[in-house]
Amino acid sequence: MTAPLLETRGVWQRFGGLVANSDVSISVGRGEIVGLIGPNGAGKSTLFNLIAGVLPPTQGSIIFDGEDVTALPAAVRCQRGVGRTFQVVKSFETMSVIDNVIVGALIRNTVMRDARRKAHQVLEFCGLGPRAHVLASDLVPSEKRRLEVARALATEPKLLLLDEVLTGLTPVEAKTGVELVRRVRETGVTVLMVEHVMEIVMPLVDRAIVLDLGKVLVEGKPTDVVRDPKVISAYLGDRHAVGA
Amino acid sequence: MDSEFASRRRRELIIAFCLAAIAAVVPLFVKDVYVQNIMVLTLMWGALSQSWNILSGYCGQISLGHALYFGIGAYTTTLLFTKFGVLPWFGMLGGGVISGIIAMALGYPCFRLRGHYFVIATIVIAEIGLLLFHNWDWAGAALGIDIPVRGDSWLKFQFTRSKLPYFYFALGLACVAWFVTWWLEDSKWGYWWRAVKDNPEAAESLGVVVFNSKMGAAAVSAFLVAVGGSFYAQFVSYIDPESVMGFQFSLLMALPAVLGGIGTLWGPLLGAVILIPLTELTRSFIGGSGRGVDLIVYGGLIVAISLARPQGLVGLFAPKRKEAAR
Repeated sequence: MTAPLLETRGVWQRFGGLVANSDVSISVGRGEIVGLIGPNGAGKSTLFNLIAGVLPPTQGSIIFDGEDVTALPAAVRCQRGVGRTFQVVKSFETMSVIDNVIVGALIRNTVMRDARRKAHQVLEFCGLGPRAHVLASDLVPSEKRRLEVARALATEPKLLLLDEVLTGLTPVEAKTGVELVRRVRETGVTVLMVEHVMEIVMPLVDRAIVLDLGKVLVEGKPTDVVRDPKVISAYLGDRHAVGA
Repeated sequence: MDSEFASRRRRELIIAFCLAAIAAVVPLFVKDVYVQNIMVLTLMWGALSQSWNILSGYCGQISLGHALYFGIGAYTTTLLFTKFGVLPWFGMLGGGVISGIIAMALGYPCFRLRGHYFVIATIVIAEIGLLLFHNWDWAGAALGIDIPVRGDSWLKFQFTRSKLPYFYFALGLACVAWFVTWWLEDSKWGYWWRAVKDNPEAAESLGVVVFNSKMGAAAVSAFLVAVGGSFYAQFVSYIDPESVMGFQFSLLMALPAVLGGIGTLWGPLLGAVILIPLTELTRSFIGGSGRGVDLIVYGGLIVAISLARPQGLVGLFAPKRKEAAR
């Protein structure tokens, strides 16, 4: 087996007395789509922030592409090939859609014309081509989500971290989103996604990791994970797990 | 690729060139020294506001302490000239470099602050600079320094008989400040700065080192402002701490940009063209009846603008943006 693209080794994150992640060790192989799921407050977003480099873990280490990146800040991790979206969209509101994406493209393109061309390609790929010259603040929510993905893709990541990009979309929009994630994987990008909506995410992912109370509860094939009594009890309470 | 964008950029350049050419011939017809004086000041404040706009408009780090860099430019040129006989041209460059370095040194602690805290820090630091110069005997302390007249020459940048050389220098400075802004707007720095202004966290996730971006903006901005300060010292040929480093200078740099459109290419110049003649006129017509009337006019204008057109006057010229379908 080849070395995984991403590995967290015994990662802990404490905020004062609150333990958001305790001893989390996960790995994501190259070319996989992995779903990170779990009830509210399970520590998914914290783990995401640790992987993206927003804050350093209290303890443990993060290995990306064979390199220990634990001490590297977010901007440098992006350089190494970690792209991310935000759960609460963070568009550059006063800039046009294309300019938003150019910011991401600049990390791999030093010539402005190349960055602009790259940004246009990514927008087409994400189906935002016709909206290129609209202000980001004028986009509808589902378009803003896609802009988040486009911006991250423009940095040409090896690993794309998607933080609830499908949440809150209409079924049709979510379906387009699922298609987009599949196409992203086809271009050779590994995807780690946090998602709430089980019925959308389960058919999409190759593997699911369930977090609960900051720990890895179960991991495995999506079909097995949803039947696991521990998962059912974490989501719905013990009463429902009895019959499973 | 995206020819619409390229042609817009070209159009901006052509418009700027035409405006500069028109401005250059105006003094050939307007001989009135008083009016020429106003034109010099307008161009100078336009250039200064354009420079301020780089850090505060594009990068979003609102500074109300740029008088510090203005003063450092003025003092560096003047001190080098009066104490060591160094030509003002070198003083100008030296003042710019010193200001750029100081801006980065101050940015190192201050750029950790956000929003209002940053603004307050810039005000306080500029006041400290003012107090230091007030008490620095070698630099003339509160009495200030007279720049001795050594005869009219471009070499010494002194002109007693005509305002025209000052006018053309100020025009040149405004052109340089505009062009630097224009050029930076479509450079990686320009995109990084706007990203940092809009959302630092997202910028960081896209590989932008937020801190370095702010430092770059501060250095460029301070350099250009200091060059303006050097020019001003030569223009008025007498400086003291209050007349080059007072708080009102910080405000005067911010106001044209705010009035014209903060973080826009044309805003600062447009704001200066409206604001500076207005100030000078109110000062001379209502002047004498008490200081500060011009500032009341300022205040009124800013209130009117923020109510009617918060994005600045430049918005009046922008093509109507299509509303997104909702």
